[in-house]
Amino acid sequence: MSEADPVQAEVETLLALVRERYGARLDPEQEAGVRTAIDGIVRAARALRAVRLGTAEEPAQPFAAYRADP
Amino acid sequence: MADPVVFVPLRQLAEDIRARRLSPLALAEVFLDRLERLGPRYNAVVTVTRARALEQARRAEAEIAAGRYRGPLHGVPYGAKDLLATAGGIPTTWGAAPFKDRVFDVDATVVRRLEDAGAVLCAKLAMVELAGGMGYRQPHASFTGPGVNPWNREAWSGGSSSGSGSAVAAGLVPFAIGSETWGSILSPAGNCGIAGLRPTYGRVSRHGAMALCWTLDKLGPLALTADDCGLVLEAIAGRDPADPTTVDRPFRYEGGGTGRRFRFGVLRGITEGCEDEVRGNFARSLEVLRGFGSVEEITLPDLPYDDITRTILYAEAASAFEDLIESGGIAGLTAPEDRYTAYARDAILAKDYIKALRLRGVMAREADRVLAPLDALVAPGRLTVAAMLGGELRSAIRGTARDVMGAVGNGAGLPAVAVPNGFGARGLPTSLQFMGRAWEENIILAAARAYQAATDWHRRHPADA
Repeated sequence: MSEADPVQAEVETLLALVRERYGARLDPEQEAGVRTAIDGIVRAARALRAVRLGTAEEPAQPFAAYRADP
Repeated sequence: MADPVVFVPLRQLAEDIRARRLSPLALAEVFLDRLERLGPRYNAVVTVTRARALEQARRAEAEIAAGRYRGPLHGVPYGAKDLLATAGGIPTTWGAAPFKDRVFDVDATVVRRLEDAGAVLCAKLAMVELAGGMGYRQPHASFTGPGVNPWNREAWSGGSSSGSGSAVAAGLVPFAIGSETWGSILSPAGNCGIAGLRPTYGRVSRHGAMALCWTLDKLGPLALTADDCGLVLEAIAGRDPADPTTVDRPFRYEGGGTGRRFRFGVLRGITEGCEDEVRGNFARSLEVLRGFGSVEEITLPDLPYDDITRTILYAEAASAFEDLIESGGIAGLTAPEDRYTAYARDAILAKDYIKALRLRGVMAREADRVLAPLDALVAPGRLTVAAMLGGELRSAIRGTARDVMGAVGNGAGLPAVAVPNGFGARGLPTSLQFMGRAWEENIILAAARAYQAATDWHRRHPADA
């Protein structure tokens, strides 16, 4: 891991979080699988972050204030 | 040799039932027998619902005899993916060992609507555990065994609606209901050489269906033809107060010939990564389409489509199954990789999920802009033929394959229909997909019908079915 490898730095940081929560359940092979999955998550996230959006670009999801009738 | 009522399109079955040349009870018996006898060959069935089917078939027979014909699904058998709740003591397993004995006390809205249409529920059909949401990498990912392809029993039937695909392809039911979050209707339809329709998000109520990803899950039909899919969609579509994502846009299926020319688009580079046979069959399909329409190459803006939809899927699935994951209950799943991969989803940051949702809006607008002058985007249904049972799956969901059509179509909630368009390696089917603007199921179905009127791939059936 080095400054030249920011993806792996992020992967290792997030893996530490997952290991803290679930490490007791993971054997070495499973932890390697989790690491691979986190690598994919990080690469996807970096691709998303690379696209710049204006602040008016809202999440595309519905939310409506709720009030039971009447 | 299959019974003459097997592999008959719905319109013909309906006409024979309406005219009382075909008894719903006798029809149910034929398909119940096939489900019980042949279902295990394909690992296609979780539960044969014999008692409920015979009761519904008797009712249909009596109503039709009394002149109360309900429509084209009246008396027609079908199967439901086992993530749709069914009352009456019938288990709803979600394909997952931890839930194999679980019973609900209500029917899913889709099951109820099909009952209202007079259809006869004959089976709960096998599926990839939890609809594949835990990260499976190979076909052995269901407590009922891997879905076996009727065209080649060493190959996979597809996922996650595995049994819905194989049961229709093997003539175990005339039609089935599947679900798609990303690929789970189009994949088994393509792998099994049948038609599959992914409706617009919000077209069909998911009430009573297992939630995998609230903003991606859709329910739709798998059947022998695009026309069959349209008939089923009309029965199951419509607003449902129990599912707030459904919209008040009544769907009336417009079957029959349109007599018009279509305008098709093809995304530049869409066959990159395809197997040679898939690419060749797609090229031949385009020639067929040029017989009744134009075909033009188009481009989408450069956006991380797969990453957008994948991030949404992972985050929502992790939340939907939070209890199962955090309790360690995923250790009871069948696929070894499903027992731990979901732990990685804790690494998804809220900001990145929100960014995916923001980009989703951009993606939806861009897709609609590109689709607006077209009737449909067309593409190979899958990059490859079905994987072998012992093989590792290539998956856009896991990032080991690209699927721009699937990422955009599911991420933007657009309808698509897949139909068979030939055969590739190992005698396995390939498919052609038509994707349209939101709410334009009638247009893509019309295009698919026109393609099927000009070809006969949908009339071919597995030799051992």
